[in-house]
Amino acid sequence: MRTTLVMVLAAASLILATTRTSAHHAFAAEFDSSKPIKLRGTVVKMEWINPHTWIHLDVKTPKGTVERWMIEGGPPNALYRRGFTQKSLPQGSEIVVEGFRAKDGSLRGNGRDLTFADGRRLFVGSSGTGAPRDGRDASEK
Amino acid sequence: MPYRHVVAGLTLASVVTLLACRGLVSLDVASSTMPRTAWGDPDLQGVWRYEGAIPLERPRQLEGRASLTAQEVAEQERLEKEQAARRLEGLEGAAVGRRSVAESPIRGNEYNSFWQDHGRPRQISNRTSLIVDPPDGQLPFTPDAKKAEARSAARYGVGPFESYLDPDTGERCLTDGVTGMMWQGPNGGHNRIVQSPGFVTILHEEYRDRRVIPVDGRQHGIIRQWFGDAVGRWEGDTLVVDTTNFIDRTNYEWASIWTRPSESLQLVERFKRVDPATLEYTITVEDPTTFTRPWTAVIPISKLSDDTQIYEYACHEGNYAMSNLLSGGRTDAARTSSR
Amino acid sequence: MRIAARVAVIVAAAVAGAALWTHLPRSSAAEPYRAPRTAGDVPDLNGVWQALNTANYDIQAHTARPALAITPASPRTAIPGLARSTHVDLPAPSLRVLGAVGGVPAGAGVVEGNEIPYQPWALARKKENADNWLERDPEIKCFMPGVPRATYMPYPFQILQGSTKILMAYEFAGATRTIPLDPVGDSPSPTWMGWSRGRWEGETLVVEVTDFNEETWFDRAGNFHSDALHVVERYTRVGPDHLVYEATIEDPKVFTRPWKIRMPLYRRQEADVQILEYKCVEFVEQLMYGQLGVVDPSTGAINK
Repeated sequence: MRTTLVMVLAAASLILATTRTSAHHAFAAEFDSSKPIKLRGTVVKMEWINPHTWIHLDVKTPKGTVERWMIEGGPPNALYRRGFTQKSLPQGSEIVVEGFRAKDGSLRGNGRDLTFADGRRLFVGSSGTGAPRDGRDASEK
Repeated sequence: MPYRHVVAGLTLASVVTLLACRGLVSLDVASSTMPRTAWGDPDLQGVWRYEGAIPLERPRQLEGRASLTAQEVAEQERLEKEQAARRLEGLEGAAVGRRSVAESPIRGNEYNSFWQDHGRPRQISNRTSLIVDPPDGQLPFTPDAKKAEARSAARYGVGPFESYLDPDTGERCLTDGVTGMMWQGPNGGHNRIVQSPGFVTILHEEYRDRRVIPVDGRQHGIIRQWFGDAVGRWEGDTLVVDTTNFIDRTNYEWASIWTRPSESLQLVERFKRVDPATLEYTITVEDPTTFTRPWTAVIPISKLSDDTQIYEYACHEGNYAMSNLLSGGRTDAARTSSR
Repeated sequence: MRIAARVAVIVAAAVAGAALWTHLPRSSAAEPYRAPRTAGDVPDLNGVWQALNTANYDIQAHTARPALAITPASPRTAIPGLARSTHVDLPAPSLRVLGAVGGVPAGAGVVEGNEIPYQPWALARKKENADNWLERDPEIKCFMPGVPRATYMPYPFQILQGSTKILMAYEFAGATRTIPLDPVGDSPSPTWMGWSRGRWEGETLVVEVTDFNEETWFDRAGNFHSDALHVVERYTRVGPDHLVYEATIEDPKVFTRPWKIRMPLYRRQEADVQILEYKCVEFVEQLMYGQLGVVDPSTGAINK
């Protein structure tokens, strides 16, 4: 029994032992988990920057004014390999973003959940087993 | 056949297999079946990625053990398949970022989850560390370097970030260094090798790191660089690359101290295509500034299909994280001072 | 006889003049140069190459001037009745300390016909770019230089011909282009260095480049493009140590028609020559981020 436990622990520790990835920013240093946001907006521009894309979004406020937000998305090179490309989020697409606001209170946020207005989901790790286009993610063509 | 011959044969076979698992004996591609460039060098061209799950250093629980038993390997394979499927399930939608670290299958690392390509089941091997020397499978840090590594681990993702000098070199979109380049990086790290007469070029996708390695018999130059001065030569079918003249960047923050260059860093790497799909990569790192003795790791790197692309890596061209980190730091400082 | 001789002289002068204008070396025979072949039986372009012109300052013909950013001198008022009739250009204050190191050398330009056919709105934007060079030129921030600018920046680059991919390894900012000779799909996104596709046409490597973003410039004079940019490059060896580089620029959002640049590229002759690192990101962090953190590292002072 004890031997099995040690084996399982050992095996588990090997599996979980991913080396620390660098350049993968400090959520807590940039964003504030006590400031959740939910925005509906139109895509103005997508910046394909590594390690995180940035989506520029025009968001209509309740007062009727338009605010320009920047939302941090997933890493482009990993997204490409899942079939997510410039064709997936054209200018003018309407999306809903749930996430957390920048610590300094500016119009920036980290996108945790991103969905199209019709309910299709984007970005958030849902592409089946990791092979591109295996059909589990309806937002992939 | 006499029983003892069978036993001897089996023992010999298992010893060779064990050593092969440890990468200490290469099962050679016969010289005649090795793909070659038009001028006769072994052809290493293509896109390569480390697909395995072996950690760099041997985990504490496996102290003293260089390899797992067949039973343990089978158990690991089962766990890996199960966890690979579960890792992505657990990353769906609303749950992300709103549960405790304990509940998360990847220790709360969802924020960086895309990098890990968690859905891909990794190759399981009976080896317990990539490091084969020293025999304990641990990085032989100097006491100062060990402190620096602990400090870096404590600061990672947390700060403080007072100026652009405080994030690590990766956060600054500089580089993560040469040492881990062939097997580290998000998504396993993609490397494209291109060979032209007199040169072997390695293009690493992350940070668009690039090494153009002359194999034309020249001597080292005298200029110091982040990636040093590399000179390669063929020893039989093994490419041996000797790199020296690194610039000192120990004064910068590094996510992994063992990749930082100093003026005393020397690398010797060996690249050997041991079968059509595998590059056996051996690296020996010597640096008295960071390590008490040289250390060696062996990594089996896998060839990806020929239609794999290396994409452009624009990082500094939009490093909003830097401005976010720094303004976050100022916000924190303002909050603290206003209390 | 005399007329024929005169005609021959005129024709020879015209040919020599044309050769002078295009600045191209000519082989002694009239036949085009045939480059040595690689093992793959295509022209061998391997080597370390560099442009030797002032195109990176300004791809059009330009006179020397004091600096890349200019302020006009204030009007002279001391002598009554003697107004300064011509305008005097001075280097912008922040660049003045560079003196002659900061000056812009003259150049004959590399644009065929010396005209860049901007649409009217785009010509105004180019002038605005030039007037705001210090804030806008992406080269200052160590951003990837784009194509064709990477070719004629004042740094060498290396052509590395593999079996199915050609790499162009630039020194500036460590930018690299992968030029596939085999079929590739589409670019998943707009990029700084474009998405290249290469093919051979006889002696010439032809590279079609698409899927640019709109961030790069053609030079330090503010010449720019949109994300509709389409470049066709032609690399041809004309001798043991010379390439001719041509690039046709097309951008229907910015220009009224395609236009071309052309220049020689020279093989670096030093033994054991290599491209070196120009990892300029750390050179520009103080400029870009110095005032953003709690502390300014150059002074140790607290940022307000």
